[in-house]
Amino acid sequence: MKKIADILDPRTKIVMVLCVSTLAVFVQNIYILFSVFSFTILITALIGGNLLLVAKKIGKMWYLFILIVIVQSIFVHSGKILVKIGSFQLLTLGGILLGVEFILRIFIIISSATILSTSSSREIIQGMVQWKIPYEIAFMVSVAIRFLPVLGRELKDVVTAVQLRGIDLYRIQIKKRLKIYYFIFTPVIIGAIRKAQKLSTAMETRAFRAYPNRTSYLVLKMNNIDYWVIVIFSVMTISVIILYYVFLRRLI
Amino acid sequence: MLAFIKLENVTFSYFKDKNAVKNISFQLKKNEVAALIGPNGSGKTTLGKLIIGMLKPNDGKIFIDGIDNNKMTLGQIGSRIGYLFQNPDCQIFTTTVIDELAFILKFKGAPEEEIKKNISETLELFDLADLQNSYTFNLSQGEKQRLAIAAIMMGDPQYLILDEPTSGLDMERKAKLVNILQNLVQSGIGMMVISHDRAFIDLIAAKKIKMLEGEIIEENC
Repeated sequence: MKKIADILDPRTKIVMVLCVSTLAVFVQNIYILFSVFSFTILITALIGGNLLLVAKKIGKMWYLFILIVIVQSIFVHSGKILVKIGSFQLLTLGGILLGVEFILRIFIIISSATILSTSSSREIIQGMVQWKIPYEIAFMVSVAIRFLPVLGRELKDVVTAVQLRGIDLYRIQIKKRLKIYYFIFTPVIIGAIRKAQKLSTAMETRAFRAYPNRTSYLVLKMNNIDYWVIVIFSVMTISVIILYYVFLRRLI
Repeated sequence: MLAFIKLENVTFSYFKDKNAVKNISFQLKKNEVAALIGPNGSGKTTLGKLIIGMLKPNDGKIFIDGIDNNKMTLGQIGSRIGYLFQNPDCQIFTTTVIDELAFILKFKGAPEEEIKKNISETLELFDLADLQNSYTFNLSQGEKQRLAIAAIMMGDPQYLILDEPTSGLDMERKAKLVNILQNLVQSGIGMMVISHDRAFIDLIAAKKIKMLEGEIIEENC
């Protein structure tokens, strides 16, 4: 039996991700966000996105969550005050809610993006090209997707290499640590420029854009299910936004 | 002499169903040069990364100078053991050779005179004097390898782990590297060299540990 990820066209997946991410950005109500979050988990699981990996990545951002809760509590005076130092509000119920909204948004965006990872970068480029997006731009997007994890790995190696010089990066003063970050980014940026140079040479040697028109062995074809999914997701997204902005916001 | 690095039944896997390193135990002394040899994918680099704490074993223990490396930070391990990556580009942090050598001493707040003296000695020892003002990203692979080892040595480690130090080097540059490493050994620095370059290993290492599919299949071969 074919998997749902194999049945759906990459363009359908792009529309799904765009719709869900749009809702995550526009909606500012925790109940609706939670519904979108649950829906995203459901579709990501159905399509075969790696939810465990997303949960691990989000789990590593716990400190950001705490920071957001505190910053929101200090600057947005809403909800019951939970912790107060003198006249200074350190933690409020409103701050916690905004922090939870932030995590929900991040989770929705990252987990919906894993839907795209169920198609190869070649299929995604082809989808964009068949949408009449210029091949150069589609190729650039695919290169960015391809090299992002490589840059991440390199950054991790450099951070390790700095520590292996005998520097306790997480125990030194913040001023010294910031100075070290400058040295960490130097090899990563130089490496990225080098990679770009090598890639452009490789592209030239393989006659990239030698002819104005390209033919492709891979041609994508949308099925009825793709049209249905695109229509359902688009209508749902527009409806939720209209309902939220026209009706619900007035009630809140 | 007591073991400087000691591995006790170390097992590690990247994926659940396949162990990259299987139940490995051995000891390395500070006054010896050991070589970890074996074909690609035999677990040599993984074992090196386990020793310096970049990876954590699923089972077993690794001791450095008698301390469990699980209880040490990378910084604490790095101040005892210098590690040369397969790709030296990721461990060159500055734009000129002289800045790279000064990096760790400046960070530790060493006096200017001491930094100058150490740099001058290291430039001579590693045959980098002519390149002292060169941009690090314009260096050849062999020069980068030498610079990376030289910069590691500025931190005064007691032991070195070198991962494929001869990759991309021609015979002449290999001979230069052998000469430098032999000088370091004479000055009391122990080392473990990870390589499948048999000719290089025969020149430098007395102790050889052969790995295959994550296991030690031969010692002192």
